[in-house]
Amino acid sequence: MPEENKTIPLFEKHRPKKVSQVKGQDLAIEKIHFYLDNFEKGDLKKKAILLHGPAGTGKTTLAYAFANDKNHEIFELNASDLRNRTKLDEILKPSTLQKSLFKKGKIILVDEVDGVTSTEYGGMSELINLIETTKFPIIITCNDIWQNKFSSLRSKCELVQIKELPYLIVVEILKEIIKLEDKFVSENIIKEIAAKSRGDLRAALNDLQSILHLEDREILEEQVHLREKSQSIFEAIKEVLKLRTNEKTTEAFENVELDLDQIILWLEENIPSEYRGEDLAKAFQALSKADVFKGRIYRQQYWHFLTYENFFLTAGIATAKGPKSLQQRFTKYNPPKRILKIWMANQRNAKKKAIAGKFAELTHTSKNRAIRDFSILTLITTEKEMKEMQLDEEQVTYMQEKKQELLSELKAK
Amino acid sequence: MVDFSTIWTEKYRPNKFEDVVGQDEIIKRVKNLTNSLNLPHMLFAGPAGTGKSTLAIIVAKELFKEFWKENYLELNASDARGIDVIRQEVKNFARTKSLGSVPFKIIFLDEADALTKEAQQALRRTMENYTSTCRFILSCNYSSKIIDPIQSRCVVFRFKLLERKDIEKVIRRIAEVEKITIDEKAIQALYEGSEGDCRRVINLLQASNSISPVITDEIINILLSSAKPKDIKVVLDYALSGDFEKSRERLLDIMLKDSIAGTDIIKAIQKEIWGLDIDPELKVRLTEKTGEVEFRLVEGSDEFIQLESLLASFVLAGLGMKKL
Repeated sequence: MPEENKTIPLFEKHRPKKVSQVKGQDLAIEKIHFYLDNFEKGDLKKKAILLHGPAGTGKTTLAYAFANDKNHEIFELNASDLRNRTKLDEILKPSTLQKSLFKKGKIILVDEVDGVTSTEYGGMSELINLIETTKFPIIITCNDIWQNKFSSLRSKCELVQIKELPYLIVVEILKEIIKLEDKFVSENIIKEIAAKSRGDLRAALNDLQSILHLEDREILEEQVHLREKSQSIFEAIKEVLKLRTNEKTTEAFENVELDLDQIILWLEENIPSEYRGEDLAKAFQALSKADVFKGRIYRQQYWHFLTYENFFLTAGIATAKGPKSLQQRFTKYNPPKRILKIWMANQRNAKKKAIAGKFAELTHTSKNRAIRDFSILTLITTEKEMKEMQLDEEQVTYMQEKKQELLSELKAK
Repeated sequence: MVDFSTIWTEKYRPNKFEDVVGQDEIIKRVKNLTNSLNLPHMLFAGPAGTGKSTLAIIVAKELFKEFWKENYLELNASDARGIDVIRQEVKNFARTKSLGSVPFKIIFLDEADALTKEAQQALRRTMENYTSTCRFILSCNYSSKIIDPIQSRCVVFRFKLLERKDIEKVIRRIAEVEKITIDEKAIQALYEGSEGDCRRVINLLQASNSISPVITDEIINILLSSAKPKDIKVVLDYALSGDFEKSRERLLDIMLKDSIAGTDIIKAIQKEIWGLDIDPELKVRLTEKTGEVEFRLVEGSDEFIQLESLLASFVLAGLGMKKL
């Protein structure tokens, strides 16, 4: 029944069942293979394997796919199971100490261990106990393994990094699934979804789902998917940029599904369409202060700064408008263009960057410096260096072109 | 056979402590540590082209003589390959013992400040694990971007920008060997364009020489302008005339076209301010604002948002408002 299918999220529906179907994680797969094979032989020092990496990159999928390939049963434990010691003892001890009665083995999966607190009795320490006594392989997944509370866990586990999926692989998977769903989506939208996902396949598939759904209702406008997802962002932006401040102003973005990083980009894009002159300057000062706090959160991992980031993004920008800016006219807000522009420029400048990187290695300098002085470097790079840097034909041509450009500029002067 | 590089920065890279120009205090201390064979982990902090990589290589050459290449590993943290690759390479390198009488090998990690805080934590553990077989020399532009636990495990050396007399010494030394004719004005132009970066001076010198054996300030200035962000004045003019959107669009285009870093843009803006046709008091305010934005960029904020807030201040200045 098609009706039923609609209720299953795309990423669940098309979740790979076999390891061979998982794309873009070859290195990690090799390591998990090694772990599982050697666990059976019983000669592993570290008796658990820990997959860590950003959301939507396939950590849980890999655990299930391996279990399926090996005909093992998955025994999933979550953070609250770990906290509840009696429950854990009850469920787990028998299963870890005696071999299962069934033929097939078991894999214990501790998914999203980030949720386990270190202070609570029987959380982290119980997990470590479990790792030391287990008779079954344990796969643990985690977003951020470098938090302090995981220091002892790290030493007990084989760490495997699961990286963000490369852009091209996200595109490939999207296309495959669109085909399986027997739908049509334009190349541009696919690329945009992939670029926006930043390697988070789950997010990409959720976005894809939202447009497939819209097409059912025959809404086929190019940008439509962005609008749908951002329905509430338009309202929220309007609240901050157009309306008088009220007691709800600081909560403007609370129900928006986008995270603050993206909201910053939306505000950046749209402030100039509401504010002019002094108001504009004040609004950008507030935005830039929010960005400063964002940077501090990132560097210090001190999340309370979020309060300030949010405050400047809402009240800070809202109070920047003087009486003249309070107007009733309708304003059309646009989705942020900058990220896509940056991405496209990166594609264009890829050659230059690759060459600059090689030059940097050759002369012990930084890549950024080499990029800045690229024109100068074309003059001093001889064939000998090009060989040493192992430039391919295209790159050599590129360098020679740039050199000629500079020389003719010199001649003109 | 010695393989002479045709790139002058390599060809004229000093091989001995005595040949390094500037940084006298640092050279003395590092030389002592090296000779005593009691080398701690070290952190070299300072601007580009002031001798950080050079000094690391000299330490290795002094310690291991002709075997320095086998006992010296150079890695760059800003390679997008991530901390896991760095750890793997360190592991492979540290597995074998060093050759000769020195009980450790040297690992030079360039641009360590490009690592995130989490990656630096991982690096710290790696450093601890291999202390018995390896010494780390980390280099960075800003030591404030290196986490305290790493700083506390290293002896920190702060490299200064090279002074004019140092730069001139380097130029004269090379000019003599390469038989270059260069006058006072050209040396001044080189110094001004160098931003205290010795590597840049030598690159400029070699590039000029590839055009003409007689080097003039004119040639140097043309070369310098080819590496400078263009049309920054246009961006500022748009902002001063009140057209913020045009101004920022133009700025983004300029930055993206040649992958120019925000810090290079801000330097160009700063240089334009004094020549603008506005009230001098405004110029002072704008310069103050520019400095604040540069500080934020160095701290690691979003380049474009910070530059936009600066452009918004230019819009205000254009309206003649002194409260920026």
